[in-house]
Amino acid sequence: MISQTVLGNEAIAIGIIENGCRVVTAYPGTPSSEILAGVIKHKKRLERDVYTEWSINEKVAFEIALAASWTGLRAAVAMKQVGLNVASDPLFSAAYTGVRGGFVIICADDPGPHSSQTEQDSRLMALVAKVPVFDPSTPAEAREMVKDAFTLSERYKIPVILRPTTRLCHAVQSLIIDGDHSSDDGIPSVKFQRDPPRWTATPKFRNLLHIELNKKLIDIADEFSDSPLNYIVEADSGGKVGIIASGVAFHTAQQALHELGVRVPILKIGTPFPLPQKLVNSFCAQFETLIVLEEPDACIEIQISDRDCVKGRLDGSIPNAGELTPEVVFSVLSKTLSETGYQVNASPEDLELAALIKGLPLPVKPPRLCPGCSHRSAFFAMKRAFGSNAIYPGDIGCYTLGTNLRAVDTFVDMGASITMANGFFQANRLVKDERPVVATIGDSTFLHSGVAPLINAVHTGARFVLLILDNHTTAMTGFQPTAANDYLADRTEAPRKVSIPDLVRACGVEYVTIADPYDQEDFIRILKEAQAHAQSPAGGIAVLIAERPCTLYDQSPILEHPVPVVITEECDGCRYCTEAFECPALVLRPDKSRVDVNYSVCVDCGQCIDACHKGFIVPKLLEISPS
Amino acid sequence: MDIKLIITGNGGQGIVFLTRLFAQTAVALGHSVMVSETHGMSQRGGSVISYLKINGDEAPLILRGTADFMIALDSNEAVRNLALLRRAGIVFVNADDGLLPEVESHLERLNIQVMSLPASSLALELGASSIANIIMAGFVVAHPALDIPMKKMTATVEKASTRNAELNLKALETGYQAGMKFFSA
Repeated sequence: MISQTVLGNEAIAIGIIENGCRVVTAYPGTPSSEILAGVIKHKKRLERDVYTEWSINEKVAFEIALAASWTGLRAAVAMKQVGLNVASDPLFSAAYTGVRGGFVIICADDPGPHSSQTEQDSRLMALVAKVPVFDPSTPAEAREMVKDAFTLSERYKIPVILRPTTRLCHAVQSLIIDGDHSSDDGIPSVKFQRDPPRWTATPKFRNLLHIELNKKLIDIADEFSDSPLNYIVEADSGGKVGIIASGVAFHTAQQALHELGVRVPILKIGTPFPLPQKLVNSFCAQFETLIVLEEPDACIEIQISDRDCVKGRLDGSIPNAGELTPEVVFSVLSKTLSETGYQVNASPEDLELAALIKGLPLPVKPPRLCPGCSHRSAFFAMKRAFGSNAIYPGDIGCYTLGTNLRAVDTFVDMGASITMANGFFQANRLVKDERPVVATIGDSTFLHSGVAPLINAVHTGARFVLLILDNHTTAMTGFQPTAANDYLADRTEAPRKVSIPDLVRACGVEYVTIADPYDQEDFIRILKEAQAHAQSPAGGIAVLIAERPCTLYDQSPILEHPVPVVITEECDGCRYCTEAFECPALVLRPDKSRVDVNYSVCVDCGQCIDACHKGFIVPKLLEISPS
Repeated sequence: MDIKLIITGNGGQGIVFLTRLFAQTAVALGHSVMVSETHGMSQRGGSVISYLKINGDEAPLILRGTADFMIALDSNEAVRNLALLRRAGIVFVNADDGLLPEVESHLERLNIQVMSLPASSLALELGASSIANIIMAGFVVAHPALDIPMKKMTATVEKASTRNAELNLKALETGYQAGMKFFSA
């Protein structure tokens, strides 16, 4: 039995497969995206018959997995924390109805946040929805917790959330993959059974289900007080201070205590809701001061009834936003422990060096669109067509980075480009703002939650230009297929694919044009034509589908027609190209005298030729070899 | 062996791949590892950092002032993350000649050594800018403090190379030879 390096998300996937789960659905989103890929990899390795899919959105994914659970199969659904907002409707309902086969929701939180619009705490979603939540601290523990989650779900007929965080999802740990876990009992002989008071419960029965749910949670909380998922380390070290820690923060706390040179008892909580009150109360009773370390918000802390001696996110002892980095945990523990009379080591960080580095003018490198990205060309054309005199609602995906190019003015959540454009149109009409409204949304995001907003906008007579940036994949999260692709999650052929232009027409849009943003002149012409349609008395919403594959996903169009460029001697370093076009391959010299092409990242798309209005970026003449 | 290692650079330089090479080699040697990687938005050209603990605790991140080594594919990223290193730590950097002069006196005071290798130039000489990360892997393995045998790293690179295995091994060897020359001097 040999250890292998396993990504946290893959460890969760292994747990899903080795515990007999039969239906797994997901919608990609950092930090959760690698879970379904891991499930597919390991179902193939163990030759298990498991249905997997990238669903069109999280609500759809949730309900497909839920139906499988109602037949009696084990099912799981994976998403990121803001995805659970989309799936919250079925979540709240399923808490009442309960489940049959084990049903586990894997919902990855993003303290920081690193790649999200909020750092909301899904453990608090679990609390409000009244479903149990597990909080793993390492990839290895997450894999084991999948088993506990399925078991608990089946025993209490209740959905269970497994809540990893970014640092766990993207941790890599050495694990033994093979072993006793790999036995397969085959597909259980189960079938969906009618149960009207449950599966079709009317409000009268919903009240009974609510009472039943509350009873389950009391029993589960009792059970959790004796569960090995919650345990105490360094119990014999005594002292006036105790720590309650959950998730990755448990190990961060141990690391900090090691550097501080002190031993402090830690109650490790693996089940933050329902909180094992008996265990927590008996632990708290032993100490004068309690420090609660959890991410990203206060879930354990708010459930502790007597918080007089508790230091945490609520009383200001710990910052009430942001990640619990090693430095934050070290400083919180250092301060509290030294105030309570402990002798602690000083911070190992050299503060003089840290201060010097902070003051250095190191170049800040915000994320940018990749060299050759067709979104850049689309945004550049938008700016050339409408300049700053337009309102640009944007959406969630790589193209959110259009904000760097001033071609994205707003982003809210998945699909909001279209609804915000709709709202701006109606508000602008009232305030007599005549600026054009030009919205952008990606192919996957449009399918996820752009279709209903588009129908709404058509039906209510809104007027704006909508660009669907179709790069043939879900690029930001690692090239997952959409419903417009001809293949499925496991790379088998899709029985059917959706045509985005047909879908747009079916929503009632009369102006639909497909164009390649690489053809700048034509693209700008169509943008202006689209805006004219949106403004004309007989017009309406104009949809322009900007079609060109992501360069990371499919380089073949560029390889077939490469346009290598050079920057002429005349370049005066005016920075127009580096700021308005912002390609990572265009680099301003440190002395700011001129711009050079970084050929190690340039992909020969030739799109920057248009980005120098002075004509200093030119095609490299192809050398003709003597025949 | 108990090592805390930082690997940093910019998105697209192969930081995640380089980190996995060290992690997989450590596991092949029978050690346990805990790594933290950067995924998502920051990979689009922004600063990227990985943390690798060999036989250490299970916290994914490394406390500032405690890392033993840093491998930097970009010298600015090396400077940005210098405070992660402990006293007498070592920086291996892809650069022509060390780090910014402003930090020199502090490096001396903290007894932090800087080992520079122009890996990007060497990579271009070998014909692919993308292999600077593997050249740095060879360079670092040549240093005695890490205690990672070249043979094991070679096996990892071979296994991890889904394509261009020959070029990758050449890159590893180039970095290793440069390191052997550098560290014996």
